[in-house]
Amino acid sequence: MSEILTCTNITKRFGGLVAIDDVSFSIKKGETLGFIGPNGAGKSTMVNVMGGYLKADAGKIILDDVDITKMPPHKRVHEGIARTYQIPRPFPELTALMSVDVASICGKNRKNQSFEDAAGDATHYLEFVGLFSKRNIIAKDLTFFELRMLELARALATTPKVLFIDEVMAGLNPGEASTAVKMVLKAKEQFDLTIFWIEHVMAVLVEAADRIVVIQYGQKIAEGTPDEVVNNDTVVEAYLGKGWRNYA
Amino acid sequence: MLDTIWFVLFFGFLMGAVYLLIALGFSLITGVLRIFHLGYAYLFPLTIYGTWFFMSELGLPLIPSIVGMVVVQLIVSYLLYTFMVKRYMDDEMTLLTGLLIVALIVEQFAAWRYPIQEGVYLETTLMDGIFQLGLAVAPKQLVLASIIALVMTALFALFFIKTKTGLAVRALSQDILNSQFVGLNVEKLYILTMMLILIPVIVAMLLIAPIWTVEPAMGWQYMTTAILIAVLGGLGNIKGTIIAAFLIGIDHALMCFVVGEPRFMNLSALALVMVILIVRPQGIARSESIW
Amino acid sequence: MVDVEIKRDRIVIRWREKKWDWMIEPRYWRNTMYWTLALILFPVFAYFLSPGLVNTMVSANIYAAIAIPLSLMTVGTGRINFGPNFYIGVGGYVAALLSIHLGMSPWLTLPLAVLMSAFCALVFSPLVIMAKGLYYVLLTLLLPLLFLEVTFIWTGIFKGDVGLFGIELLFDLGGAKLNFIAAAYVSAAIMLLFLLIANKVLKSRYGLIMAAINDDEEVAHGIGVNINLVKILTFIGASAMIGVMGWFMAHYFGTFSGITYLPLTYMLKILLVFMVGGRAQIFGCVAGGYFVAFLEEFLIRVMGDFQPVAFPIILLILLFVLPRGEGLFGLYRRRHYREYMPQIHVRR
Repeated sequence: MSEILTCTNITKRFGGLVAIDDVSFSIKKGETLGFIGPNGAGKSTMVNVMGGYLKADAGKIILDDVDITKMPPHKRVHEGIARTYQIPRPFPELTALMSVDVASICGKNRKNQSFEDAAGDATHYLEFVGLFSKRNIIAKDLTFFELRMLELARALATTPKVLFIDEVMAGLNPGEASTAVKMVLKAKEQFDLTIFWIEHVMAVLVEAADRIVVIQYGQKIAEGTPDEVVNNDTVVEAYLGKGWRNYA
Repeated sequence: MLDTIWFVLFFGFLMGAVYLLIALGFSLITGVLRIFHLGYAYLFPLTIYGTWFFMSELGLPLIPSIVGMVVVQLIVSYLLYTFMVKRYMDDEMTLLTGLLIVALIVEQFAAWRYPIQEGVYLETTLMDGIFQLGLAVAPKQLVLASIIALVMTALFALFFIKTKTGLAVRALSQDILNSQFVGLNVEKLYILTMMLILIPVIVAMLLIAPIWTVEPAMGWQYMTTAILIAVLGGLGNIKGTIIAAFLIGIDHALMCFVVGEPRFMNLSALALVMVILIVRPQGIARSESIW
Repeated sequence: MVDVEIKRDRIVIRWREKKWDWMIEPRYWRNTMYWTLALILFPVFAYFLSPGLVNTMVSANIYAAIAIPLSLMTVGTGRINFGPNFYIGVGGYVAALLSIHLGMSPWLTLPLAVLMSAFCALVFSPLVIMAKGLYYVLLTLLLPLLFLEVTFIWTGIFKGDVGLFGIELLFDLGGAKLNFIAAAYVSAAIMLLFLLIANKVLKSRYGLIMAAINDDEEVAHGIGVNINLVKILTFIGASAMIGVMGWFMAHYFGTFSGITYLPLTYMLKILLVFMVGGRAQIFGCVAGGYFVAFLEEFLIRVMGDFQPVAFPIILLILLFVLPRGEGLFGLYRRRHYREYMPQIHVRR
């Protein structure tokens, strides 16, 4: 399997604070890479840097042999990156159908697609996440879970190669959370995606992820299969503190 | 050459100080309360023509007229808050337009009742005569106005830093919802701030009325300068407003003495503001707080 | 090259690799035809009843035709431009100066006025990218005021508050009344054209992209919308449309002076047409324009020189009384629950 996304020596500073310190990793095509770390480690900053909202102070990002380090966010979407947000950010005044419509129209350079065709395409994605019945409801009136699903549909409608999932389970009750996880895995299978998954809940990643990268204070402290990472002393120390052995 | 530099510094300081008074209220109300007080322009003609109304129509001497005018201003502020700001807090477009209409009504009313030919003149000269420092000559009234401006700004700054109410207003400027959570009476603070900003404008207008022109449309001119200073200094930040006011004052003085074209004052100020905004979009201020 | 295919309910246009579907829906044409007929017949009636009303109709068309591009600009850039009369000034002065000094006919000055407005919009377009919310409002508010200063500074060219005279008129049909009627039809035609353009744009995919930008720029950027391009193009296009109205007014009145159009009073009138008509509802702009123009005329006839004071007072009352966010148009058309309407987000 070839590498589809490679990040080399990414560094991001906010004034004196180094949010990401020389982080490098790569994702292979079709893989699910988990990205974990304690709170404040720099996970969301990493997604923002890879998505293009923040400019990396150093380092390169290569997507499918194309150097996207200097590209603005919309160009990166055209190359094949999509993201969801930790707290859903829908278009407040647009209906669900219209939100996904925009993604369908602008996500890539579509050939021979008229406005009505795009609406048809959008309903396909809405149906996939189970929101077809809510397609004409304005985003302000959707429930939290439906908003998460809308985010997913919107990201999928841009037909990405790599999908960044930012804590899809946050704020959902256990039933909804498991539906959300199943939806992500179903999407990965059906649309042949590569997934970069930031998550707090280890149980999910242990099952779903092929590899996991762990960062703490902006630095990568471990990388490997879920089993390796869970049993890695440095990782456990990052979460539990230095003296954890005394209580183990 | 040295003379020109001195003129620029001297008059830049004087004008900057007066501009500071004018812009202080605007910067505060827009930055602190996040109200786009586009109707700020009404304060200027209301001060002058309000006092004139008491003097000419009711025949009162100067001091009671000023008191009457202040009372009228306070009532207008209260009414503005209750019927406009409170009602349309979440609907900024209506609020903006409504406040702008109020400014227009005041201006048109003043123009209809007291057209320019009426010769409105307020005798608020505190110090007669001319002040000379080196080769630069200015009316003593203007120098006094600038000193009072600095003192007033210092008092404002002290109010916001040292007093409890000032702290409450600072909290309000950061987050309205959280201020309510910690028990601040948000409405009273809004009304207080709206009345507080009247002070620098009234003082400034009364002091400079004898030396600068008075006409119904004067509000827009001053508001343009206030907007430029507030935007340049960072909305709601006193330090930034002080620096910006003097920057614009010096810019105007440069236009007068170095370039020799006083008519370019506003244009050059706009160009300056735009250039600085390109480099530093949030203005001169270092933070989004009041001080 | 361009391939047109006519199907039962739509026209399919293909060009290169793009495809457009234009739906044909006759059920929506009825209202449009009635109102257009009314617009065509009104000058004829007014000519015999009270010729002054033809002038009022021209004013109404002008207000509406300025408010429509303003709505388009608001939705497309996600910000409210508080100084649209800047472009009226640009268009008007270009038309006036070219007509007076170079003797160009109105139809020659039109493309030049449009080009100049577009050029000025291009120069100020960084505002749309850099400034947001309050800053944008304030800076756009200042532009016409500063242009006014310029006209006073370079009085030799712009003739400050006196104004430029002797601009060639649009039509010279022999009588003043006939000229007014011709101008009424031209202004109505321009307004309908703007309405058509704005409606088509807002209902197409470009309108949807503009709506997305209006709602949340950053998120739109993150799903592939080239926000800067769309914002700048909308800004330039709408400004050029407003410039056309400046051209029209210069050639209609025969005189043009900045002090009529550039101060805040005029901008407020346009803003009120915009708000009273129902904010970003382009059909509401027409209703708003006619309402404001006829109200002004009525007040002048009834109140004489108190009119400049009464007019804003009445508009303030209207602002309170009309349904929130929907103005006059809201009275005409009660929305279904939660339909999509472009909203203006002024970010705090």
